[in-house]
Parts: sequence; C-alpha cells; structure tokens
Amino acid sequence: MNEQYQKFESYLDEKIAACKQRSELLTTDDRVDEGNFEKIRANVYEIFKTILSVSEKVCGKDDLARKQFFLQKAEQIPLSWTTSYEKAKQHGDTAKLHIESIKLDTIREIKDMFMRIWEETT
Amino acid sequence: MTETDAINLFKGLADKSRLQILKSLAVEDMYVERLAERLGLTPSTISFHLKKLSDASAVTAYKNQYYMMYSLNKEIFQTSILEILQQESDEAQKQAKRDADYRQRVIDAFFEYGKLKSIPTQRKKERIILEVIAKAFEFDRIYSEREVNLIIADFHDDFCTIRRDMVGERLLGRNGMEYWRIKD
Repeated sequence: MNEQYQKFESYLDEKIAACKQRSELLTTDDRVDEGNFEKIRANVYEIFKTILSVSEKVCGKDDLARKQFFLQKAEQIPLSWTTSYEKAKQHGDTAKLHIESIKLDTIREIKDMFMRIWEETT
Repeated sequence: MTETDAINLFKGLADKSRLQILKSLAVEDMYVERLAERLGLTPSTISFHLKKLSDASAVTAYKNQYYMMYSLNKEIFQTSILEILQQESDEAQKQAKRDADYRQRVIDAFFEYGKLKSIPTQRKKERIILEVIAKAFEFDRIYSEREVNLIIADFHDDFCTIRRDMVGERLLGRNGMEYWRIKD
C-alpha cells in the first residue's frame, strides 16, 4: 500500500477509535442517544475503511484506479442517505434528519480528507 | 396518561442532555440556538432531543416572531408517579384472561365430576379450590358445624381440614359453632 493510502487508513482508524471512545463516555454519562450518534459516525468511517480495502483488491496497485473507485463509492453510497434526509425534511422528522445529517457530514469530511491527503502527497 | 404515554415520558427523561434541556426550560422558554449555546450541544442535537421530548408531551412549541420557542409542559409534570402507576394497565384485560385461564386449569385438575380429587398443597391453588367450595354456601345465613361438614363432605371426605382452611382463608366466618359465608 502506498503512503497516501496508509495515511488515509490511519486517519480512519483514529476517527473510529475516537468515536468509540466518545460513545462510551457519553453512554456512561447517561447520554445514550448522543453515544449512539458517535456509533453512527464510527460506522460511516468503518464503511469507508472497508471500501479502501476493497479498492486494493479490485484495482491492485493501480493508485489512480483505486482513487477513482473510492470516490465513486463515496458518491454512490450516500445517495440513499440524501434521499432519507430529504424525506425526513419534508415530514419535519427532526430526529431522522439529525441522524441522516450526521452520516452526510461524516462522508463529506471523509471525502475532503481523502482529497487533501491525495493532493498533499502528489 | 396511557401506559404508552408514560413509557415515552420516562424514556424522554432518562437522558442527561434531555434533563438539562427540561431544567433550562423550567427557568424560561427558549429557542433551539439558545439551548444549544447554553448546553454546549449542536442545534441539530438539541432539535433531536426536543423532538423526543415533544413526542413525550414534555415540551410544547410556539412561534414568537422569527423563532420557534419551546416551553415546559408543566401540566404533565404535575402528574405524580403514583397517579401513573394507579392508572389501569393497557394489559389489564390480558392479565385478567391469563388469571381466569390459570384458575380454570387448577379447577379442571383438582375436580372430577364435582368431587375434589385431592387437596392442593400449594396455597395459591388451594385458595382457588376453597373459593369453588365456598360457592356452595349462601350469603347471610348461619350454618351449624354439622351443616358445614355435610356441605364440604359433598366435595371431599377430609371436611375438617377444608373447613379449618376456609376459616383461615377468611372465606367462612366462625363464632363458636356457628359459621357464615364472608362477602368479598
């Protein structure tokens, strides 16, 4: 794995660990729902860690192909989240809206970081 | 308040952030951003909690110029927990049916053609059996011990034990040699 992908994987690992730690702290502090929000964030990071690993299996050592594969998935996967978000907005379901916005904010952050790391090292 | 409402309310309260929101609203009505600043949470998280509190009827909302203001539903917090517990359960009918079914199973197991096969050792079951035998006694009538024994003997030979247990279970009253059926 090249430097970019190692760096990006470390970033995802750190984020997952931080979310899980915050989740535990919040749950212990009787803030179960907020603890669950952190679990949702951790889930999104984990999904994209899996995508990163799959990209290697699918594209091999071709870094450019891996980048395209990853960004394509980063566009495809959140489509259903956006639909859910819009539906929740229409129905004034603030609870669902919050959960979908957590997922969409997290994927936005993941994409930004992916691009930043890619640009920094090329 | 229905049982479902009570569960929603307790769930709503069982969270530190939501409790902090309610405490803030107990001071004065507030809008989302004000609560967010005060509690160090994002407005989106506050909205999430307010939705849960609103679903539990713990808070109400009203429009004030540009803001949606939230206020504590004081009426719901004036309900005592004891009042909630004393409300008839949504499950009451199901429970009553389960009790009736159990009672019938005990009666079927211990009676055969109107005769008691044996005296149950479990107190709960014996009570059910004794209640059936008690129905053979009329209310507002005094029975001699001999009459009591004869009535019980129609059900089981051990009328002494059954008579004594019926008095012990307060199904029959006794004064010397006189007995009567006690009303529920």
